[in-house]
Amino acid sequence: MQKHNQKEHLYKLLVIGDLGVGKTSIIKRYVHQNFSPHYRATIGVDFALKVLNWDAETVVRLQLWDIAGQERFGNMTRVYYREAMGAFIVFDVTRPATFEAVTKWKEDLDSKLVLPNGKPVPTVLLANKCDQGIDVLMNNGIKMDQFCKENGFVGWFETSAKENININEASRCLVKHIIASESDPVQSIEPDIIKPHLNSSKIVSCSACFKS
Amino acid sequence: RLEEVPLEVLRQRESKWLDMLNNWDKWMAKKHKKIRLRCQKGIPPSLRGRAWQYLSGSKVKLEQNMGKFDELDLLTGDPKWLDVIERDLHRQFPFHEMFVSRGGHGQQDLFRVLKAYTLYRPEEGYCQAQAPIAAVLLMHMPAEQAFWCLVQICEKYLPGYYSEKLEAIQLDGQILFSLLHKVSPVAYKHLSKQKIDPILYMTEWFMCAFSRTLPWSSVLRVWDMFFCEGVKIIFRVGLVLLKHTLGSSDKLKSCQGQYETMERLRALSPKIMQEAFLVQEVIELPVTERQIEREHLIQLKKWRETHGELQCKSPPRLHGAKAISEAEPAPRKALEPVPSIIVSPGPAPVPKARKSKEKSREKGPASPANGPGAEGNGAPGTTRELLHPQVSPHHQSKESLSSRESEDTYL
Repeated sequence: MQKHNQKEHLYKLLVIGDLGVGKTSIIKRYVHQNFSPHYRATIGVDFALKVLNWDAETVVRLQLWDIAGQERFGNMTRVYYREAMGAFIVFDVTRPATFEAVTKWKEDLDSKLVLPNGKPVPTVLLANKCDQGIDVLMNNGIKMDQFCKENGFVGWFETSAKENININEASRCLVKHIIASESDPVQSIEPDIIKPHLNSSKIVSCSACFKS
Repeated sequence: RLEEVPLEVLRQRESKWLDMLNNWDKWMAKKHKKIRLRCQKGIPPSLRGRAWQYLSGSKVKLEQNMGKFDELDLLTGDPKWLDVIERDLHRQFPFHEMFVSRGGHGQQDLFRVLKAYTLYRPEEGYCQAQAPIAAVLLMHMPAEQAFWCLVQICEKYLPGYYSEKLEAIQLDGQILFSLLHKVSPVAYKHLSKQKIDPILYMTEWFMCAFSRTLPWSSVLRVWDMFFCEGVKIIFRVGLVLLKHTLGSSDKLKSCQGQYETMERLRALSPKIMQEAFLVQEVIELPVTERQIEREHLIQLKKWRETHGELQCKSPPRLHGAKAISEAEPAPRKALEPVPSIIVSPGPAPVPKARKSKEKSREKGPASPANGPGAEGNGAPGTTRELLHPQVSPHHQSKESLSSRESEDTYL
């Protein structure tokens, strides 16, 4: 039974990344709690809905948009990205090339989509197929933290759709940042990162400086 | 649920089809309407693969290019494409017995066909949506035949669908939407209000020719008609599905939001996809090639205004078996007197000029006469630059065909 004073949030989340990194598998695991090696390649876009009981007062409904990974479908991403509130960018830890493509996906996303307050949408990086035991990229967590900071990811997770590792955690992380950015649209949600260009008062004082 | 055709009827149909296949050129020239009718009734399963090759002109294409597939088959291919193709091999009809085992015959042939295409059209490479198309073909014919059939689909039926920028499919999305306005104003209004861009629901439908959308028996019936009548069938199927999913206020009650609407279009009601119902609706829907071409011009103009020139220039599409056979007659046919039914009232010298080019480009792979636009393997470099469907000789003959066709109801 739903409580009468329950709040409901609806977020559109994108799941993007190179072909075959496991975007569809992550979504199926998250939404249907299962895994199959027999998913069809996504042509265009696919959808799924996940309902989260966020806390006692809040229900979060997530529309997950599963976007085809082949480069040429990138010509349609502007339509797919429209009005999304957050994103996962996925790569395959066993294929370094898919990690190299991560910044390309991030740039594509940021160039085509900003939040109503002008900021980029919160994005979480997923290092998928971590069950495969090939940990080339992951043995240095500090490096990954650094990478995320430099490229504007709010966090990163080693995930496995096959073994159900960290997918719920990654999603909670993303939703947490979306809620935070919604309730506090001006201030940065990461207090340790200084973004002077977002501070309007500084610009004013600057231009005042310039005038005097 | 499969529609059972009584065995007796099936045997009759088979012998009728055998007669047609054995006298194909004659049937094509004189009794095209009868072929169309028989495609609408469904091609007998035992002859389907052969019939598709005749209809698409891939049989002629193969004969004109003997050994070409084997030649491509021996080449290694660009690793960039091989990597992507290999990642897709186990993801096509993964539960079909032909494709179920990794490295099995089905997957091997799929690899060969898709790889050969990237070598045949290096500037197009591989698009993921080609894999299901090739897989359906391989269920009906050997790899070499499937390859040429795929070539015909990519170049004649759906030109530009799989090339780099995916512009042709986006244009067709706009055409579909515009046609929907006439077919089902209610569905059109709803999708407009929800701001649902056509590419959100029609990309997979059209690029895979509904092979991943409809129940299997319906896929085959749709493909039978598609090979005969061309892209019109794809548009009609799309319009029928939209109309019966979103076409009344009653149906719209349960899809108030954008997401609900898209969910509904993704999980279509089995009732409207059922073979007999769908095929009948598609046959009856009054959407013609002429309408599609007219809308194509309108949308192309709009596209140029908003996006600039098209970046991938495709040859004009040919609306089905008749148009293809007229545009690419078998070499020996050129010696025969031209049947009067092909004669076009349009600019007379154009088809002739084209024919001679056709011949010259079949001669050798690296003909320098083809110019910089040619890829060196028989690409119609000249037709590729033709953007305006109305200036194309194909469409001239097609228009005259459809008006003529409406007259010869005696067939």
